[in-house]
Amino acid sequence: MKSRYFAAAALLLFVLAYEAKAQFRFPMPEFESGYKHPEMNTPLPARIPAAVDITVLFVALAVTAWAVLKSRSRSMVFLIAIFSLLYFGFYRKGCVCPVGSLQNVVNAIIDRSFGVPIIVMAFFLLPLVFAVYFGRVFCAAVCPLGAIQEMCAISPIQLSRPVEITLGLLPYAYLGLTVLSLATGTGFLICRYDPFIGFFRQGASFNMFLTGGVLLLMGIFVARPYCRFLCPYGVLLRWASLFSKWHASITPAECIQCRLCESSCPYGAIVVPTPDDRSVDRRTGARRLGLLLLLTPVIVGTTAWTGMTAHKLVARLHPTVRLAERVAAEEQGRFAETTIDTDAFHAGKQMPAELYADANAIKQQFKYASAWFGAFMGLVICGKLIRLSVIRKSSDYEADRGACLSCARCFAYCPVVGPISQSDLRQECLDKHAQS
Amino acid sequence: MIWMAAVAVAVVSGLFSLIVSILLIANYVQVQAITPLDNPELLKLRQQLAATPDADANLVTQIRAMDLLTRKAFFTSQAHLKMGGYLLLGGVAALLAAWRTAARCKTRLPQPDVAPPRGSYWMSRARAGELVGFAGALWVVTALVAAFFTRLDFPGTGVSAPADSTQVAQAESAAAYPSWEVMQQNWPSFRGPGGYGVAHYTTAPMKWDAGTGKNIKWKTEAPLPGANSPVVWDNRLFLSGATESAREVFCFDTESGQLLWRRALDKLPGTPDKPPKVGDETGYAAPSMIAHGDCVCAIFANGDLVSYDFEGNLRWAKNLGVPDNHYGHSSSLLAYQNLLFVQYDQNKNGKLLALDLADGHEVWAINRQKISWASPICVNTSFGLELVVNSEKNVDAYDPLTGQPVWQLACLDGEVAPSPAFGGGMFFVANDNAIATAIRFGANEQTPKPEIAWQWDEALPDVSSPLGTGQHFYVATSRGQIVCLDSITGKVAWGQDYDNGFYASPVLVGDRIYAVDRRGTTYVFKTGPVYELIATSRLAEDVFATPAFMDGRIYVRTEKHLFCIANSNEP
Repeated sequence: MKSRYFAAAALLLFVLAYEAKAQFRFPMPEFESGYKHPEMNTPLPARIPAAVDITVLFVALAVTAWAVLKSRSRSMVFLIAIFSLLYFGFYRKGCVCPVGSLQNVVNAIIDRSFGVPIIVMAFFLLPLVFAVYFGRVFCAAVCPLGAIQEMCAISPIQLSRPVEITLGLLPYAYLGLTVLSLATGTGFLICRYDPFIGFFRQGASFNMFLTGGVLLLMGIFVARPYCRFLCPYGVLLRWASLFSKWHASITPAECIQCRLCESSCPYGAIVVPTPDDRSVDRRTGARRLGLLLLLTPVIVGTTAWTGMTAHKLVARLHPTVRLAERVAAEEQGRFAETTIDTDAFHAGKQMPAELYADANAIKQQFKYASAWFGAFMGLVICGKLIRLSVIRKSSDYEADRGACLSCARCFAYCPVVGPISQSDLRQECLDKHAQS
Repeated sequence: MIWMAAVAVAVVSGLFSLIVSILLIANYVQVQAITPLDNPELLKLRQQLAATPDADANLVTQIRAMDLLTRKAFFTSQAHLKMGGYLLLGGVAALLAAWRTAARCKTRLPQPDVAPPRGSYWMSRARAGELVGFAGALWVVTALVAAFFTRLDFPGTGVSAPADSTQVAQAESAAAYPSWEVMQQNWPSFRGPGGYGVAHYTTAPMKWDAGTGKNIKWKTEAPLPGANSPVVWDNRLFLSGATESAREVFCFDTESGQLLWRRALDKLPGTPDKPPKVGDETGYAAPSMIAHGDCVCAIFANGDLVSYDFEGNLRWAKNLGVPDNHYGHSSSLLAYQNLLFVQYDQNKNGKLLALDLADGHEVWAINRQKISWASPICVNTSFGLELVVNSEKNVDAYDPLTGQPVWQLACLDGEVAPSPAFGGGMFFVANDNAIATAIRFGANEQTPKPEIAWQWDEALPDVSSPLGTGQHFYVATSRGQIVCLDSITGKVAWGQDYDNGFYASPVLVGDRIYAVDRRGTTYVFKTGPVYELIATSRLAEDVFATPAFMDGRIYVRTEKHLFCIANSNEP
């Protein structure tokens, strides 16, 4: 075990010791007054070769998968999370991150003229490939955004299942908005509103620091709020993890249904055994499901229409639309002062009329994109409702493959193996179970 | 013991982090509020330096020291922020580690019942379904309500016009204004009716001599300096003059040159105590007046705008605010129907105003983004009447009655003083150190879509405005060149060098063009593709203003005098 830590530490030291040598992009002017130029401190464009980052990511994913599936060590997972936070977060300043790489890939799909660098593609694909085989091991310890929240999750509480499921709609909305913003040329929303990048880079707007700080404070009690209720990449990982070949299991042996693990998961990712006391008979349930399936096109149509109707609101995400609004307002005298954006616009050659034409064209794009976004959200809502209507029998306590972040917290609570198995509590549980 | 130690560390590090956070926020707010280079003391010193003609070495050293100090203070504050960030990071890391350790020490194992409460599983599923449905419905309703209240306010999405229909109706109902035909028979503004340099009468004298008095009907002193050009209505001629301390309007009898009245403008509400800084050549009374039916209006460098009737009675006066203009305000006034147009372009908060001539109230106003020293022109195009103005960046056309933008083209650059020219359905704009552009419009278009017909980048004017005759555009430069350009092809028909530069704008009088150079020599030449000089006449005084052309007469303002030139056989 020690040798593993040593290897990880050595790797980190090697990376940190990679000193960048600065270089001038333009020759500096020479002054006759004797003025001396300050020491140049601009870093090289790429301090770490892409291959190193990809390798570190691959190794971190592999070690996490091993720690979760084979070693079943929460401590190991936590240590990898610390490493990831330091390396991918503070050292690499949170870029490239797989969460953001989603945008590059979607952008390249929408507009073929955009290429995706190998490192970005690797960062996008590797966590998904690992999720298909081993579950969300990337979320467990490799994602710097997840790691920083994991550090803060000290006294996590469990949200009620209905709240957990409902808030689970938000990542889909964020994913939809991300695609919409790329389709309309609005920009990379995920990067723009990354709440933790400011901590990694020691620089961000006050609002972003505040948002990040609030999320981390909240994360002390509601573990990983960004991962669970916002992360758009998490949606893809959830889908991939549903098909995972090997996934973390609460108990590696037979579940004795002691219920000790039930409260161990702060992410509500434990599927409990399906009780037999159905409140609704099978026929009524089937009728409800049929009705829901019939209503799905209506719901999707309604949400698509809603999206289209609200396109003006969403169009404000686009900087050109916001600029056009401001320029028009200044022209109409609604603002006496100009902004840095309008000053820059007026310093350029573009005419307000051209700006308005551009903004109107973008607004039109948003009309259709918002309709698609609305339809997507309608589908997600219907999908959630359908999933809740379909009963899938479960006889043991097991990890929800989609929602489980493979954090390994629950392992310690299993009396069959793990630390509790060494205590008297195990016997107590077994006795209770036998009596019941 | 471990728990106690962990709790102690957690409390201390928590307090430390809290204090650092508060200090960081306070520092952030302070840094945000400070713009180091706007330090009042520094600005004061800079103003002192600007006011000192010869740079004071001590003052310069003092400014440099102060500048360095304010920058240092700013960056020190930034460094404190960064250091605070690291301290906070360390504090939070210690807090989390200690808290985690303390929590681990007190871990309590769960004590679940053997079986969950009966029915709770199904209840939870049902509640989840209801909540998801409710969230979906809430999303739909919220989106629809937000959509209802969202307006994207830019043209093309139902933006309000600068002037509403009521104002247009007001403008149109005020029918007591001179018609276009009556305006044509006068010289109501800079460069004549509409302000584009075309005289209605074609009977102007061609030859005169101030030395011998040939064709000089009268000559009178201009009481105060001013670069503005004379305007004439019937038998009255008006011009303004100003110094740092005085601003006056003068009315002359066109028959005798007698000063009929002069009115000094008192301090108005908003008039600054100290006059603004102006360039020597601009002066305090560069904008030309307007004479319009029964009233005259004048504007001065400090923003004072005044209107008198023809007898010299004050109708109204107001200060438009001291223009933020580094050379001084020089755009001339223009009037049409009951509206007075003021091109009040400035470095910041520039406006194009349409004021009611009756009482000076604002009928419409357009915010302008770029400064200029050019004057507006009002022309009748195939798309209707247009008010066309230049700025540092573009040519803008507006509906004169409503202020509604009609078209716009970015083709200008630099500090633009020349006004637009119009001829043959095309506009022509030019500015020195930039480029001249001929602007044409699609013949079959319903709305004007301007396009660049051709451009010219040699021999460009920086004061004098170009002239359009239909077949050609003429450019008179400050370096003493006059160039004739074919309006369709942009090719040079001819170019001629003269001894002195031109500040006055050339004027088309029938088939002749009158161009007065800075030394007071007037060149009269024929329009057309071949240069044909008809006459050269001298006044032997410097001339900056553009002459006024009436029936058989020319009124020229020189640096110190006002001349009336008429054929000697005129009674």
